[in-house]
Amino acid sequence: MLPQVLASGLSAGSIYALMALALVITYKTTEVPNFAQGDMAMVSAFIAYMFLTDFETGFIFAFGAALVFAFLLGVGFEVLLLRRMRKPTHLNLIIMTLGFTLALFGFAGWKWGADQRQFPFPVSANEVIRFGSVSISTLSVATILIAGILMLLVFAFFRFTKLGVAMQATQQDPIAARINGVPARAVVGLTFGISSVIGTVAALLTAPLITLDPTLMWDALLKGFAAAVLGGLNTPVGAVLGGYLLGVIENLFGAYISVEFKSVVAFLIIVIVLWFRPSGLFGRHHERKV
Amino acid sequence: MSFFAVDGLTMRFGGLTALDDVSFEVDQGMIFSIIGPNGSGKSTAFNCISGIYQPTAGKIYFEGEGISGLAPHHIARLGIARTFQNIELFSTETTIDNLMLGRHQHMHSGVWSGVAMLGRATSAAREETENRERVQWIIELLDLVQVRDRPVGELPYGTQKRVELARALAMEPKLLLVDEPSAGMNADERAEVAERMRELRAELGVTILLIEHHVQLAIGLADRVLALNFGKPIAQGAPEEIRQHPEVIKAYLGDG
Amino acid sequence: MNDRHIDVVIEPTRDHYEDIQLFTARGSWIKLALLLVVLVSLPLLLPGYRVFTLNYMAVFVIVGLGMNVLVGYTGQVSLGHAGFLAIGAYTMVLLMTRLAVPFPIALVMAGCVSAFFGFLLGLPALRLAGPYLAIATLGFGLAVTQIIGHSALFGGHMGLVVPDAMVGPFPLSGDVSKYYVIVGITFVLALGVRNLSVTRVGRAFRAIRDSEIAAATMGVDVAYYKTLSFAVSAALTGVAGGLLALMTGFISPGVFTFTLSLMFLAMVVFGGLSSITGAVLGSIVMGYLNLEMDAFQELPVLGPALEGFSARFMSTVGLPNFGWVVTGMLIVFTILLEPRGLYGLWIRALDTMKYSKSADAELSRSGSGAD
Repeated sequence: MLPQVLASGLSAGSIYALMALALVITYKTTEVPNFAQGDMAMVSAFIAYMFLTDFETGFIFAFGAALVFAFLLGVGFEVLLLRRMRKPTHLNLIIMTLGFTLALFGFAGWKWGADQRQFPFPVSANEVIRFGSVSISTLSVATILIAGILMLLVFAFFRFTKLGVAMQATQQDPIAARINGVPARAVVGLTFGISSVIGTVAALLTAPLITLDPTLMWDALLKGFAAAVLGGLNTPVGAVLGGYLLGVIENLFGAYISVEFKSVVAFLIIVIVLWFRPSGLFGRHHERKV
Repeated sequence: MSFFAVDGLTMRFGGLTALDDVSFEVDQGMIFSIIGPNGSGKSTAFNCISGIYQPTAGKIYFEGEGISGLAPHHIARLGIARTFQNIELFSTETTIDNLMLGRHQHMHSGVWSGVAMLGRATSAAREETENRERVQWIIELLDLVQVRDRPVGELPYGTQKRVELARALAMEPKLLLVDEPSAGMNADERAEVAERMRELRAELGVTILLIEHHVQLAIGLADRVLALNFGKPIAQGAPEEIRQHPEVIKAYLGDG
Repeated sequence: MNDRHIDVVIEPTRDHYEDIQLFTARGSWIKLALLLVVLVSLPLLLPGYRVFTLNYMAVFVIVGLGMNVLVGYTGQVSLGHAGFLAIGAYTMVLLMTRLAVPFPIALVMAGCVSAFFGFLLGLPALRLAGPYLAIATLGFGLAVTQIIGHSALFGGHMGLVVPDAMVGPFPLSGDVSKYYVIVGITFVLALGVRNLSVTRVGRAFRAIRDSEIAAATMGVDVAYYKTLSFAVSAALTGVAGGLLALMTGFISPGVFTFTLSLMFLAMVVFGGLSSITGAVLGSIVMGYLNLEMDAFQELPVLGPALEGFSARFMSTVGLPNFGWVVTGMLIVFTILLEPRGLYGLWIRALDTMKYSKSADAELSRSGSGAD
C-alpha cells in the first residue's frame, strides 16, 4: 500500500509544488502573497477550454493560447493594477490581490456558469499503468513529468540565462539591481507573467483530474500556500520540496487516518509550521532592520 | 550600582558588527550624549536598550536590574521611553491620541469597560478624562496646543518631532532616549532643541540619553559624552575632554 | 480649522470628556433620535419581504463591525471570517436543539465560542505578521466548512434546521419581530465598538496598525492586542452567525464560503478601513448586493441591459456571478483610487468644502484690505 500512497502523493504534490513555486517567485520579488494566483490560472484554463470546445482547435494551439493569455494576465495585473496603487502598503497589496481574485471568479462564473465541465486532455485519468504493485494513471505520470520538467526549466532560467540572473538580482536587492542597469519595474511585471504561466500549467493538469468550474483552483491555492509555508516562503527550491512533501503527507493521512478530513491537513500544517518554524523547513529567518 | 549601565554591549547582523563591546554608565538626572558619524552604531544601541534588538552579547542594567532580553513593552513599563530617528508616530491619529498612547501603561481599561463607557461617570470615561488632563501640560509645554486635534501625519516635520517627544514624555519616563532631535533643522531650531532638553531635565528631573549627529549640540548639552566610530567606543568623558580628544577629531575629520 | 484653534486658546480649562463623548452637541442627539425613529418605523412602512432584506443587512453590519476591529484597526487581514460566522451559527443552533438552551443564552455562547476560536487563530499572530496570518486564515475558513460538511453532528452537507426562538415568553416568529431583535443588537454592538475605539484598547489596536515598533516601546503588548483583536472580531462575527441562523431558519456549509469571507473583507475596504460609519455603510451596500445577486435581471433599466449583454457575450445562467465581479471591482478600484473608501470620499468632500469656504473668506478679507 505504501508505494501506491507515495505515488499518489507525488502526483498531487506536483500540482502543489507548481502552485508553491508560482506563489514564491512573486512573493520574493514583491513580498506580496498573490491570492489571485489560483483564479488567474482558473480563467486561463477556461481559455484553453474555450479554444478546445468552441473553436475546436488542437491541444497544442489551445494550451499555447492559454499560456500566452496567462502571461499577459499576469503582466497586466502587475502593470495595470498593483503598480498603480496610491498607497502600496502590505495590507493594501494583499487586499488588491483578493479583489482581483473575486472579480476573476465572478467573471468565470458569469461567462461559463457554475457547471462542472469535463476538460478534454490528451492523456486519460482512467487509463492505468502498472509499475510492480503500483498502478498509476497516465494523467498522473504526465503530471509528474510535466511539472518536473517545467520546474527544472524555471530553475535553469533563473540560474543560467542573463535575464533570469538579472531577475534574481532584482529580487535580492532592487536598488542595487537598478544601479547595475536592470530595469526593476520590468522585472517585476515579468515575474508576475512567468508565475501566472506556472500556475496555469498547474490548472491545466488539475482540470482533467477533477472537472472544470470556477472553484477549480481554490484547493490548489491553499495547498500551494501550505507547501510554500512548509518549505519556506522565501526559497523557491524549498517551496517545491514543500509541495511534494505536502502531497505525500496528505495522502498518508488520507490512507491511514481519515479520508474525509484530508483537506484539513493543509491548514494544520500551516499552523504547526508557523508555530514552530515560521521560516519554513528550508528557509532562513531574517531579522528586519528598523 | 548606577542608575543606568551598559556593559560590553555587542550587536552583530550576520557578518556585520554594528556595536562592539560598548560600556557606559549614566547617573540619575544626567544628560548623556552618544556621538559618532553616520553608521557608527548609535541607533543600534538605542534599539538594544529599548528591546527592539536582542543584543548578541553584553548586559544592560536599569535601576540595578538586568533588562537585556526583555520585550520592548516590558522595558517601556519599567520607565524607559524613546523617540526615533525616522519618526515613528501613529500617523493617522491626532496629536492627543498619540500622547494618550504614551499613557497606555498608566491606564487600565480593558475591552469590557471600554465598550461599556456609557457616561461621564463610568470607569473608562473617568480614566480617559483624567489622563487627557494629565497630558495637557505637555501639550502646552511643547507648544502643540494648535495641533492638538489634528492627525499628526499631516503636520510639518519639526512639529512631528515635537509630538514624538511629547508622546515619550506622556509616559512619565525615568529615562528618556532621544534619537537625533535636531536632524534636518537649522541653527535657530537647533538652539531651540537644546533649550528644550535643558528645560526638560530641569523641570522634570528626567535622565536623558541623547544620540546626536550634530557634535556641537551634543557636547554642549551633555554632562558626559560617549563617542562611537564603526560600532567601537573611541572616547568617553566630560564634554571638554571629548572636544579635544584626538580620536574624536580624527573620526570626524575622516568622515569629511 | 481656524475655529478650533481659537476654541482651544480662549478655553484653557477645557472639558476633556468632550473628546470621547458619544454625543457631543445637541445636534447629534437629534440625529440619534431621528435614526431611532427611522429604525423603529422601517419594518412597518416596508413590504414584508423587504424586512428580511433589512435583517440580512443588519447581520452584515455586525460582521462589518468585527472586520473593522481586525482589519481596520489592527491592520490584520482575515480571509476566514465566514468560518467564524459558521461557528457562531452552528454553536447557537446546536445548543438550542441538543441542550435546549434558550435563544438569548445560546446567542451569547455563539459569540463566546467564536471568540475562543478567534483567540486560537490569533495565536500565530504572536509571532508572525502580514502574509502568514492571511494564509492561515484562508486555511481556517476552508477547514471549518470541510469539518462541518463531513460531520454528522453538524448535519453534514444537508445542513440543520433552526428551531423556533423565544425571547423570554415572546416567540420570534415573523420577520418583523426578528427585525427588532437583530437591529436592536446591531445598534448596541455598534455603540459598543465605537466606545471601544475611543478608549485604551481601541487606541492600542490602531497604534499597532500604524507602527508596531512604536506601540511596543509605548508599553503596548503587541502580541496580546493582536490576539485580542482577533477574539473581539470573531465574537462579533459569531453573534452575527447566530442571528443569521435565526433569520434564515436553516444553515448549511454551502453558505459559509471563501467568497463570503472575501465579501466581508470588501465591506470594510469599500466602506473605509478604520471608520465605523464606513464599515456600516459598506456592510449595508454589500449585504444588499449579496442578497439581490440572484435577481439582477429584475433591476429597473440596468436589469434588461445586463441580461442582453449576458446573453450576447457571457451567459444568462451565470448572471448572478456578476455580483462577484462588482464586489471584486469595488475592492480593486477602492484600493486603486481611494484606499480610505467611502469614508475617504466623505472626508475629501468635507475638505473641499472647507477649503472653498476658507478661500472665500480669504478673498473677502484681502478684498476689504485693498479697500
